Amino acid sequence: MTWQGTLLHIHVAPAASYEMEELTEAQLVAGRGIVGDRYYLGTGTYSAKPDVREVTLIEVEVLEAIAQGEPRIPGFKAMLAPEDHRRNLTTRGVPLGHLVGTRFRIGETVLRAARMNFPCKYIEQLLGIPGLYEGLLNRSGLNCAIEVGGVIRPGDPILPIDG
Amino acid sequence: MASPRIIMKLTVTATRKESGDVLVIDLKHTRKPLLPPFEPGSHVDVHLPDGKVRQYSLCGDPTDLSRYTIAVKREEVGRGGSAWIHEAVAAGCMLPVSAPRNHFPLAQREGPTVLLAGGIGITPILAMARALERQGKTCELHYFTRSRALAPLLSVIERELDCNTVWLHFDDEPETRQDLETLLSTRSSDAQLYYCGPPGFMAAVDRATAHWPEGTVHFEAFQPPEQDRAPPEPFTITLRDGTVVPVAADTSALAALRAAGVLLMASCENGVCGTCECGILEGQPIHRDAVLSKDARTHRFIPCISRAAGVLRLDL
Repeated sequence: MTWQGTLLHIHVAPAASYEMEELTEAQLVAGRGIVGDRYYLGTGTYSAKPDVREVTLIEVEVLEAIAQGEPRIPGFKAMLAPEDHRRNLTTRGVPLGHLVGTRFRIGETVLRAARMNFPCKYIEQLLGIPGLYEGLLNRSGLNCAIEVGGVIRPGDPILPIDG
Repeated sequence: MASPRIIMKLTVTATRKESGDVLVIDLKHTRKPLLPPFEPGSHVDVHLPDGKVRQYSLCGDPTDLSRYTIAVKREEVGRGGSAWIHEAVAAGCMLPVSAPRNHFPLAQREGPTVLLAGGIGITPILAMARALERQGKTCELHYFTRSRALAPLLSVIERELDCNTVWLHFDDEPETRQDLETLLSTRSSDAQLYYCGPPGFMAAVDRATAHWPEGTVHFEAFQPPEQDRAPPEPFTITLRDGTVVPVAADTSALAALRAAGVLLMASCENGVCGTCECGILEGQPIHRDAVLSKDARTHRFIPCISRAAGVLRLDL
């Protein structure tokens, strides 16, 4: 599959429930996460089951659809700013739903797509947006491991790695 | 639906000591010019470095969102949160603070409003009095403290509120001292009452307003009522999917649920904030919280502090 996308935003939170903070540059550490983020620091709230969640991504296209109330059924509509959705990286032009099991580049780093992200009911309470859980079902992004660390910045190209 | 629980990093811009061993703290957002809006009666959670969370009412001006103001009374026999704040918090500090929530809103009704505050319970009441004054609504504020010298925020009240609407009652001044029963025995039939204060004050107002019509009396407690101190008994919780969660006598239902893998948010863990509230499907709860209304007690549950007899089936 040929595609090329762009990194739009980088956000981290120092611990569970904290406001996300936008970065103009971030250090990705292989096998750990983004320096300063809750997944890197081990201060997040998430299921106790072993899982890969070093970096999470979401498509800006999903946020745009939710802002429009698409799809019309169930018609959930909300303005979710990039700092609201609580994924680390907001992308444009990247088919996140097709990448599970593959590797791809963001700038100088390499990520391995582990599984689709599953939304948590807790985000509704955190943001005070009822219905957001259902609104994000099947499109709440991708959880990735970092294979090759490095520095990323908004505007970096995102590219598939063949083979 | 619960309101936002997001935690913001706020910077302390100023602190000042007020009478009654109170520290007034002004806070601004570390990165943004404006803070989330709030209504009078709202509180925020302040997250302390040891992981404790404490609730403080916003006592500043809701129309000025460049800052929040809280007033913290040092409680020598408290749980340690206020002592830490008094010792460690100074201008320039960063404090993690939640977005505001309001369990104590002013009802938009016609008719006079009666505000009663006991001691540091003045914090939400002060914000309410300012708002009512600005709206030109009829309101009277009765402020009860042990003495003039120990009255939290007295100078703020005297400076900012219309003295024609404020009555100060000091236990050690026979000429201002006021019995609650007597005060509340005469009331206008369309009055709304709001009160906040320490447990003894809360119990006294509760007794004095037992005959008031449903929906006219509103309150916020800082601590759960001092009733039902019987030693806790073990009980059992069952979940929607049939999972059985035993709750030992020395464990909270919240801790037992979390140990069983149920993700529940909590904040005060003392039955006053309502963050961990959940639904009851079946069973006999023993409510020990200070947040659920009489109506909600039939079908809601606060697992950080409340217990049950036998088996309690929760909507989780």
